[in-house]
Amino acid sequence: MGRWEVRMTTNASDEEIDRVLSFEDEILPSSGFAISVMDAVRREAAAPPPIPFPWIRALPVLVVSGIALALFLVAGIVAVAQLGKVAAPRFSMPSTLALPPLLHGGMESAAIWTLLALVATFVSVRFSMRLASGRR
Amino acid sequence: MSPSEDQAEVERVLAGDISAFEGIVRRWQGPLINLAYRFCHDRGRAEEMAQEAFLRAYRALSQWRKDAVFSTWLFALATNLYRSELRRIPARMVALDEVAEPADGHASDGGLEDHDRDMAVRRAVLALPSRYREALVLFYFHEMDVATAARSLELPEGTVKARLSRGREILRRKLPQRLAAPRLKEA
Repeated sequence: MGRWEVRMTTNASDEEIDRVLSFEDEILPSSGFAISVMDAVRREAAAPPPIPFPWIRALPVLVVSGIALALFLVAGIVAVAQLGKVAAPRFSMPSTLALPPLLHGGMESAAIWTLLALVATFVSVRFSMRLASGRR
Repeated sequence: MSPSEDQAEVERVLAGDISAFEGIVRRWQGPLINLAYRFCHDRGRAEEMAQEAFLRAYRALSQWRKDAVFSTWLFALATNLYRSELRRIPARMVALDEVAEPADGHASDGGLEDHDRDMAVRRAVLALPSRYREALVLFYFHEMDVATAARSLELPEGTVKARLSRGREILRRKLPQRLAAPRLKEA
């Protein structure tokens, strides 16, 4: 009996929900709605097409950047691995010997890194300007 | 609202006759605005969202695959837009726990007007978690057609049925007195 009552309540509630939600008031579009949409569509149609990304020009630089990044990561991993070997107690090698020459401290390596950074900056600025101006 | 009219106008638009889009707008402005209104219960916002839906439809017109009816495609696009718009800026609503139940259930049987009860139920629907709210809104908007609601939501029918069931269950739990029909109590 109790279960029957619960089921009846549930059904009645569903009917009530159906009744309330099926008959919501309809609203009418305002008088200028279609005109306003068509204005927006005409503006959209008149706008110049978006400039596509210049993949052909960008591709070589992206490839070179990818290779450079990969090389840098490999150099870093090698350096870390060699540092680990140096840290072992059996070998008392100076830590600078474990690093690739470019990663040694000192004026020379600092100069080389600075030069590399300047070259990279120069190349990226030139490339960006070329892309922006549309020249090959 | 014949599908062939839609198709003919879409083809004209794609061929470069922008003015043909006006026929599509005039035919579907009512349904799209009303669908948006059911999501937000704000007339101004409903029109803004419907306008954006038409603009997106215009941009994506070439992506309509003619294996589906144009209106199905249009409603799915609009529903997607309305859902993401309402996630970005939620509709003004009250929390589900704050949807008022009458203090005395017996008093409500005779005294509460139907209008108040209807408003309370609609407010409660807007306060539901989005997945249940969307299923309920689409189901009733499409005249209780689960298949059409599922296509608009781009969900399997089973998922929509489960969400409808859960949504109704939450409504029943939150509004037990308002949803208990008086004739049932007499029985």
